[in-house]
Amino acid sequence: MTPQTITLAKGLNHGLRAAMEHDPKVIVMGEDVGKLGGVFRITDGLQKDFGEQRVLDTPLGESGIIGTAVGLALRGYRPVCEIQFDGFVFPAFDQIVTQLARFHYRSQGKLRMPVVVRVPYGGGIGAVEHHSESPESYFAHTPGLKVVSCANAVDAYWMIQQAIACDDPVIFFEPKRRYWEKASLDVAVAPPPLLRSRLVRPGGPAAVATVVAYGPMVRTVLDAAAVAEQDGTQLEVIDLRTLSPLDLAPVFDSVRRTGRLICVSEAPGEASLIGDLAARVSQECFYSLEAPVLRVTGFDTPYPPAKCEEDYLPDLDRILDAVDQVLRY
Amino acid sequence: MTRIFALPDVGEGLTEAEILRWHVAPGDTVTLNQIIVEIETAKAAVELPSPFEGVVSELLAEPGATVAVGSPLIAIDTGDADLEPAAAGVIGEEGPGGRITTLVGYGPRTATMTRRPRKPTPAVPAAEDRGSVPLAKPPVRKLAKELGIDLSTVLGSGTGGVITREDVRHAAAAVPAGNGAGSVAPAAPEAGQRREPVRGVRKATAAAVVSSAFTAPHVTMFLTADVTPMMQLRARLAQQPEFRDVKLTPLTFAARALCLAVRRTPEVNASWDETTGEIVYFDYVHLGIAAATPRGLVVPKIRNAERVPLRELAVALEELAAAARDGRTAPGDMLGGTITITNIGVFGIDTGTPILNPGESAILALGAIRERPWVVGGAVVPRQVCQLALSVDHRVVDGQQGSRFLTDIGALLSDPALALTF
Repeated sequence: MTPQTITLAKGLNHGLRAAMEHDPKVIVMGEDVGKLGGVFRITDGLQKDFGEQRVLDTPLGESGIIGTAVGLALRGYRPVCEIQFDGFVFPAFDQIVTQLARFHYRSQGKLRMPVVVRVPYGGGIGAVEHHSESPESYFAHTPGLKVVSCANAVDAYWMIQQAIACDDPVIFFEPKRRYWEKASLDVAVAPPPLLRSRLVRPGGPAAVATVVAYGPMVRTVLDAAAVAEQDGTQLEVIDLRTLSPLDLAPVFDSVRRTGRLICVSEAPGEASLIGDLAARVSQECFYSLEAPVLRVTGFDTPYPPAKCEEDYLPDLDRILDAVDQVLRY
Repeated sequence: MTRIFALPDVGEGLTEAEILRWHVAPGDTVTLNQIIVEIETAKAAVELPSPFEGVVSELLAEPGATVAVGSPLIAIDTGDADLEPAAAGVIGEEGPGGRITTLVGYGPRTATMTRRPRKPTPAVPAAEDRGSVPLAKPPVRKLAKELGIDLSTVLGSGTGGVITREDVRHAAAAVPAGNGAGSVAPAAPEAGQRREPVRGVRKATAAAVVSSAFTAPHVTMFLTADVTPMMQLRARLAQQPEFRDVKLTPLTFAARALCLAVRRTPEVNASWDETTGEIVYFDYVHLGIAAATPRGLVVPKIRNAERVPLRELAVALEELAAAARDGRTAPGDMLGGTITITNIGVFGIDTGTPILNPGESAILALGAIRERPWVVGGAVVPRQVCQLALSVDHRVVDGQQGSRFLTDIGALLSDPALALTF
């Protein structure tokens, strides 16, 4: 099959379709995922082709969506729940943290929870309150959940299928402002495993700093690295892909070569998962660190109104300022 | 100009609505936010305000009709000459204002980001107050540890008194000179004699060979090898474009052969640790190269030499030799070796009994390569012949392992193609 250029949204759509074709136990459920095909059209056409029994328009109640999915999983189904927007996941937080994350542990390993919770997250689309948040650290902090985030169309296509095939609950964060970014997908090329981070821009022997990002920030960091290269500064970029468990071997390897690390995330920096990453790098790569590990994050405020969001989101300039800063030590 | 007001998605994810009642008719003047129409959606009945000011020119949907989100509802003549096109894009496509049209929000920007003018770099962050802990970043601490330097005795030359790599290297270079000049007054030289204080490299060499010779029981073994094939390979490689600018010496081949042979006999790449009563085996080869310099004998290292291909090895040897000659070898580059090679052949010597570098378990001496009579297939022919001598620490390496290691090196130099089998 020849490679096709598709958007991240289409990658998810094709991935969901492939998973549903592969396993009749896969069920898609959520608000407006059926007839409308989702507000971002991620589930477009699925109800038409797989029917209302497998693609369900649920009532507006996220707690109920996840509670229902837990029950379905106990009966052998593999539900894929869409939470329409990041800020709407909080009504479901109780079900996710107290039930979904715990059944496997509570049943001493006898019961599995093959549930995927899809969450479009992050800002940059000029939306209203509750529509631009980055709640991934809450979930990464919870034992029993796997948390991943795709950053491009190719990963979107494969990771959603791998998440559905996973017997553990996976919170699947989708960078909504990257939904329309395109990449060339060759389905004949075998994908990397779900829970691996990846060096997406090697810096070679000249690399002076490593920049780690995930989800929506990967594109921003790659753009920053391209600009830095014009300034004569080589950066290595790692896409984490998996947020819990973290796969840090590639990060350690890179930091041992570059001696400097910058972690980038849209979420507020306080008590965030990249803070934990920074601590672990300090422990594992202590003698390699030429500068303190820096974080470039959203601010410790609620996500601002749309007109101010470009001041809130980490951008090219804030990343390159951090590069300047680590190089001064 | 006439502006079109299209049916918005008044609740997230609505696809259509039914027109219940128009509050305005063509010709009416409407103000901003004046209620113009009532619609019924799947969620509720809603009154829609006008986003424009002006005169209604046309109603585009009949009461009772079901209208899809995005379809035009009403045309209003706003009376201005604004040329901005009506903002009703296709979802997922680029719309007005350089943004992708979305159902919710203004949509993400499509333009790539550009950099703002760079901020002037603020001064180097001031180091925190000097408590009882010396100020140095982790790699400098590591260097100090390797060189045996106590950081609390080093004065930092960096901003805010931060100790730099250079500070540590200077401190390390000062140690041997400082310690030697001691309490004993120098003796007066007698006639026909010259006395020189023992210091610097001489002093370090003396300490090293004494400690090695009288702690590690040395065993030296010899092998004479016909290295003609290696010399032929060398001549052939010298013709290759990639080797054109490289000085390919017999030492390069010997170093490469040594690294290959270590794989089969890892015991020689090890260290006797007296304090813990253990033998430390290394996965890597930090290869020491004994180099004669105007200042005396130094043994700089090639780190992870086992991973260095022949060409790069040749380049590294050349650089190492140049640095040693110029006295540029950093103290840190002389530490942490795991095995050593000494090229006594350059002095025209056939062979010798090398003394181990302290802490290592093997040292290879490469003798001069000379044309000698050699028996090949029953006939005496002139061949390029070289003597190899290997000293090992008998506490770590037995004769059998040492012999295998030495014969492996000899075999690789006599028949470089054997490298394929290692």
